[in-house]
Amino acid sequence: MNAVSPKKSLRTIALIGNPNCGKTTLFNELTGLRQKVGNYPGVTVEKKEGRILIGSEEIIVLDLPGTYSLSANSPDEKVVTDILFGRIPGTPPPELIIFVADATNLERNLYLLSQIIDLKIPTVVSLNMIDRINEAGIAIDTSMLRKEFGVPFIPMVASKGIGTKELLSAFEQLPPIADVIRQWQLPEPVRIEHNELVSILIANEKMSEPAAFHEAQLLLSTPKDVSSFSNEYNSETLNHLQQDHSNLQLTGVDRHSIFVESRFRWTNAAYKKSVRHTTPRHQNTIHDSIDAVLTHRIWGFVIFFVLMAVMFQTIFTWANYPMELIGSAFDMLARSVSTVIPEGDLQSLIARGIIGGVGAVVTFLPQILFLFLFLGFLEDTGYMARAAFIMDRVMSKVGLHGKSFIPLLSSFACAIPGIMATRTIENQRDRLVTILVAPLMSCSARLPVFSLLIASFVPNVLLFGFMSLPAVVLISMYLLGLITALLTARVLKSTILKGPKPVFIMELPPYRIPSLKNTFIHMWERSLLFLKNAGTIILGVSIVLWFLATYPKMAQGTSSEKLAHSFVGQAGHAIEPVLKPLGFDWKIGIGIISSLLQREVFVGTLGTIYNIEHADEANATLKEQMQKEKDPVTGLPTFSLLTALCIMVYYVLAMQCLSTVAVVRRETNGWKWPAAQFVYMTLLAYAGTFVTYRIGLWILS
Amino acid sequence: MPKMKLKTLAQTPAGTTVTISHLDSHPDTCNRLREVGFCENATIRLVSSGSSQLICEVCNTRIGLNYTTANAIVVLPSKE
Repeated sequence: MNAVSPKKSLRTIALIGNPNCGKTTLFNELTGLRQKVGNYPGVTVEKKEGRILIGSEEIIVLDLPGTYSLSANSPDEKVVTDILFGRIPGTPPPELIIFVADATNLERNLYLLSQIIDLKIPTVVSLNMIDRINEAGIAIDTSMLRKEFGVPFIPMVASKGIGTKELLSAFEQLPPIADVIRQWQLPEPVRIEHNELVSILIANEKMSEPAAFHEAQLLLSTPKDVSSFSNEYNSETLNHLQQDHSNLQLTGVDRHSIFVESRFRWTNAAYKKSVRHTTPRHQNTIHDSIDAVLTHRIWGFVIFFVLMAVMFQTIFTWANYPMELIGSAFDMLARSVSTVIPEGDLQSLIARGIIGGVGAVVTFLPQILFLFLFLGFLEDTGYMARAAFIMDRVMSKVGLHGKSFIPLLSSFACAIPGIMATRTIENQRDRLVTILVAPLMSCSARLPVFSLLIASFVPNVLLFGFMSLPAVVLISMYLLGLITALLTARVLKSTILKGPKPVFIMELPPYRIPSLKNTFIHMWERSLLFLKNAGTIILGVSIVLWFLATYPKMAQGTSSEKLAHSFVGQAGHAIEPVLKPLGFDWKIGIGIISSLLQREVFVGTLGTIYNIEHADEANATLKEQMQKEKDPVTGLPTFSLLTALCIMVYYVLAMQCLSTVAVVRRETNGWKWPAAQFVYMTLLAYAGTFVTYRIGLWILS
Repeated sequence: MPKMKLKTLAQTPAGTTVTISHLDSHPDTCNRLREVGFCENATIRLVSSGSSQLICEVCNTRIGLNYTTANAIVVLPSKE
């Protein structure tokens, strides 16, 4: 690596292109980083940064969200225009652009390219997925494309690293930017009005020429009233704009469409000169047959639910063996610690507090990995977008559209990327509704809670001869979250966030063989994150909880009495009256409160509390300890199938994740919505659990 | 010359190829459609059509639309 003067600011290259054209794959290839890639539009919703060497120069590379144009219709697209026009403080506009185009779908990609060329920033086009053009039945003349657009087109296969060197060396031989001219033509009256407005924007608004050139098109084509821009432009500019709108109306030109049409006319002509179709276009393909089944109005839903059922059944059965191994390893570790360290507080802290708490959570790592394996396959094959497409029918009934389903489906893994994925939703109200309901989808952090309770209290019997009852209960919890999310969205969309029925336009990516490498990298990174949480948050909570559950000490008494006397016991008894109507005792209450930070802490908390309480039963697992646990007053078991269901219902509906609260605050620019979300979800959880408990008692009686 | 019959994309049977005559909706919707490839004179192949949604192919890309959006796309029989 060459030394770079720290005082000199580095130049920046931005990766720009349509959604799902391979920008992040190229970014990873160039920088050696491992950002998440997927076969559906909208995987990248914010800028990602890395560094490369071009020649001897170190350069910052920005991976930007995919966009169809520079109109900035949604928050993720706005990131692109904000960076290109230098509107983000501390991030100067890029000096170079790599325009990533899908070679099999060049016709549409050229529209955005023509907008990028207008910015007069040195640009090289990465003609990605060039290995698929034969299959797509097209031949591309790259020298003709260069002649038409004035920028180099480099054939590439980013996923295999083919063409990377040529791409970077193209930057060293770039022609002067003055040689790149805007070739698309506007009708004369429109051109005159446009040029005048560009001059006004440069003079009055102190815009650069490329920014004014772009802004003038948006202002002249906008359907909005001129007065709606009064906060952004001075009155002279607005008066001129008003006059321009009137002048264009008199010419009979449709000012709303003329800019897009004129641009497309030029790019289409350039496309026809440069690209030849070797097989007739619009032929039926195998993808048609697959789509006919997967998006069928009946079979589509059947396949979706079967896939989900298989996923949860597999999570329960396949993950069992590695889970037992991890559990045994932690038991062995606890026993070894007990033999090495003499009996006392230190032994209790390490063996019962730390190993008991952290071990109880880490045991569930295999289930989480299986969940990510399945979701990774769904994303990589192209099925994710199809699931969103079929779900549009359901989503439209609640006032949203299919695009909102991708954030919801992503929230099965974790609500944080799910909430970030809402940036692809154009309509602000629809985006807000999706953010507000996304945490109701059961995330991977709920899985340890569900698994522990299901494995402990749901009988392992087969239903219909093939479906295990534990898997059915698990699916029911996921469905409860989904149905509640849809009903809540319906209520929000018909009351405080009322809005028109959204337009639904969704790109369906080609079916692809899933990349094992991508999926395993993603699983590896998720497991590191899970273990990091276990090693930090859960470890910290376990230590604090051990202290609070051990002190103040009682000289005499059983383990249960000592626990009841501790800080945790006293606090737990204080909150017990609030939880009694839900069928929860004070220990479950402590579990719920300690897991406000993160849901899986609940399992670690129970692990620590029961390990301290049952200190004399060294070999008992958490599951066995919970099964044996009795109410000291009535002598009845504390946990039953009903209690387990109530706890699960509570965790399906409650927020219990401070990271999600923080992300919602960031995405909604304030505390109003995360506060409202926390309150409504907590109330919903309390009411839902209360109803479940009462119905359960009524059935049992 | 015989007058060609205009239909919306939502009224077009699956398997047929059509050419876009014009777009008929709010300017924002029309421009969004153009940006993803549904510009005037573009050819579209209707891959499948359900009760409220359809899948079509435009500019070599598959796009899913609901009928409300598909009704904004006015088409003619294809010249291709």
